[in-house]
Amino acid sequence: MSAGNTTDRLKRRVLREAVAENIDVIRGVPPRALRRHSRWTRLWLRRASFVLLPLTLAGSSYMIANGGDAAMPPRPLMQIASASVQPPVAPLPDRGVTTPERMAASAFPLSVRRVVLDAGHGGTDPGATAGGLLEKEITLDIGRRLQSLLTQSGFEVVVTRDADHTIALKDRAELANAAKSDIFVSIHVNAIVKHTEVRGIETYYLGSTNDPSLTKLAAAENRISGYSVSDMRSLVEDVYANARSAESHQLATVIQKNLYSSLRADDAALENWGVKRAPFLVLVGTQMPAVLAEVGCMSNEKELAMLRRPEYRQKIAEALHQGIRSYASAGDAPQKKGIEKNG
Amino acid sequence: MAETLNVGIDLGTSRSAISASNGERFVVDSFVGWPLDMVARKVLKRDVLIGHEAVANRTMLDLHRPLERGLLKEGSEKDVEAVRELLKHLLRLVGVNGKSDAANVRAVVGVPAAALRTNKQYLRNSMKGIVDSLLIVSEPFAVAYGLDALLHTLIIDIGAGTTDFCVMKGRYPTEEDQRTLTIAGDTIDAQLLKLMEERYPQANVTLFMVRDWKEKFSFVGEPKAPVVVTAPVKGVPTEMDITNEMKAACEAVVAPTVETMLDLLAKVEPEFQERVRNNIILSGGGGLIHGLAQALEDALKAVGGGKVRATDDPVFIGSDGGLALASDAPEGDWEKLSA
Repeated sequence: MSAGNTTDRLKRRVLREAVAENIDVIRGVPPRALRRHSRWTRLWLRRASFVLLPLTLAGSSYMIANGGDAAMPPRPLMQIASASVQPPVAPLPDRGVTTPERMAASAFPLSVRRVVLDAGHGGTDPGATAGGLLEKEITLDIGRRLQSLLTQSGFEVVVTRDADHTIALKDRAELANAAKSDIFVSIHVNAIVKHTEVRGIETYYLGSTNDPSLTKLAAAENRISGYSVSDMRSLVEDVYANARSAESHQLATVIQKNLYSSLRADDAALENWGVKRAPFLVLVGTQMPAVLAEVGCMSNEKELAMLRRPEYRQKIAEALHQGIRSYASAGDAPQKKGIEKNG
Repeated sequence: MAETLNVGIDLGTSRSAISASNGERFVVDSFVGWPLDMVARKVLKRDVLIGHEAVANRTMLDLHRPLERGLLKEGSEKDVEAVRELLKHLLRLVGVNGKSDAANVRAVVGVPAAALRTNKQYLRNSMKGIVDSLLIVSEPFAVAYGLDALLHTLIIDIGAGTTDFCVMKGRYPTEEDQRTLTIAGDTIDAQLLKLMEERYPQANVTLFMVRDWKEKFSFVGEPKAPVVVTAPVKGVPTEMDITNEMKAACEAVVAPTVETMLDLLAKVEPEFQERVRNNIILSGGGGLIHGLAQALEDALKAVGGGKVRATDDPVFIGSDGGLALASDAPEGDWEKLSA
């Protein structure tokens, strides 16, 4: 067959496929690739919940039965049950795997040794940009400062990126899981282009939301994931009733409180936008309490000028540090032991 | 029966081009602006301005670039309206004059791959009612089709908002054949502006100025000549040498482009990898960066070498590809694609 014939045949084929895809769109059929992906992901999540929850509960029961084991390496889910200072906990009734709320922080004190810091965006994904400043640079700088502060306080710190690298959101979550981290803190900077007059601080934990502005923000932060907003929504629905929610909320609350009270001293107009739930992909994949802090607002001129100053970025890092310490010490003594040992 | 006009449209983040079967070809800046108030409307004597006119009068306009960062922002009515205005404007340029026109217009519109991946339905609805029949495809695919490069080819289309990679395997590209980076022409602009602000803090420079300079002088590797530009410093036009800044800003796209290129190449079936490596096509505005093809070839040496060529006509390559698709599509298919 001649080269010309081959080309013509190929052209007919690709054209036919392009037309078929467009007809699917006209009929409202979801794109083939996404259909496959989403089904796979849901299946995975369903399986994961069946595997993880029994494991966690079995782990908890084992630890309680053995009175805890201080020599055990820190493992986020099991650790919840490993605290030796806890008054005796009633044996877990055998009610299957449908009661994740029993793992809430109020039931078992937390011990935090290992922290994963996630400097938002990076590499080919600059995040928000304003006045020549890139979100990825600010988050990395604050992340480095926070890493240093946490290390000095005796925490083990794992970072998702230590330079200007492109890292997929899923990979960040996987890294945190592989590191068996106790908490996950993702650092981001807001940009509210339509309201450049406002500036504020907000901290997120995972959950679904009906607030259109939050959906939009999550869509922007999840952009490089390749998922559509509706796909994200169904993903989140699947993992929504998870055991990390209460802990994540608590972590978000102390971080938000420390960020706001500390930064407001520099800027009386700074607004407290509070703790919110939103479906950020990076929070979906993590298996430990996880929050995403929007530590400032690049779209506001005054704040942008402040973010350019290293002293202000240091202040943000210190506030995050204080928040993490508060969360850790709200739990128990092992953290303090860690400080003495390392520091 | 009404006369049929086939058109290929490249709806780009920075520029949009149209090629029509009547032989007309035009390119416009992808900017759409509406007068901010009554005064502006009176001065401009127009309800909407498009392309370089919009950029030139931007201080009086609510200016939109509808596919910024490669996506049509969902929920933004202004962006949808901007896309519609842009399409209508392009069609007017090739002689289609709205409802009164009796011609049957069939359009193939190429969009950034990411836009097509995330909101196909939204994109299609946004373009409803402007032409008689509509086929939307990813931009690198239109380029590949126009060049007859459908087999064992890698298209790297560096636009303003996105860099699209597409390996052509003799089929309509799937998710796994394509990648999108948001590092592209706009990243160079932002980087160049930042570097200039650092080096010449007194100079008054805007993104529009650095975009113009980039289009004239962009390079990676060794410069052909020093890059000297003029910008106001405290109101006084002043010459500045920005050779180093231009080099650094342009080279910011090299590493991620190389990384993605090598990653995609590694995923090609082993027996075809060499053929794909020797068939890499650089299109879009990025193809005009002096020395970029060479830099990519240098990087390919580590994996056995390869050939990268920039397209001869980066401006119309996508719209010409779209026109070729429009002309080749069978009559029966067009009937199913009414818009």
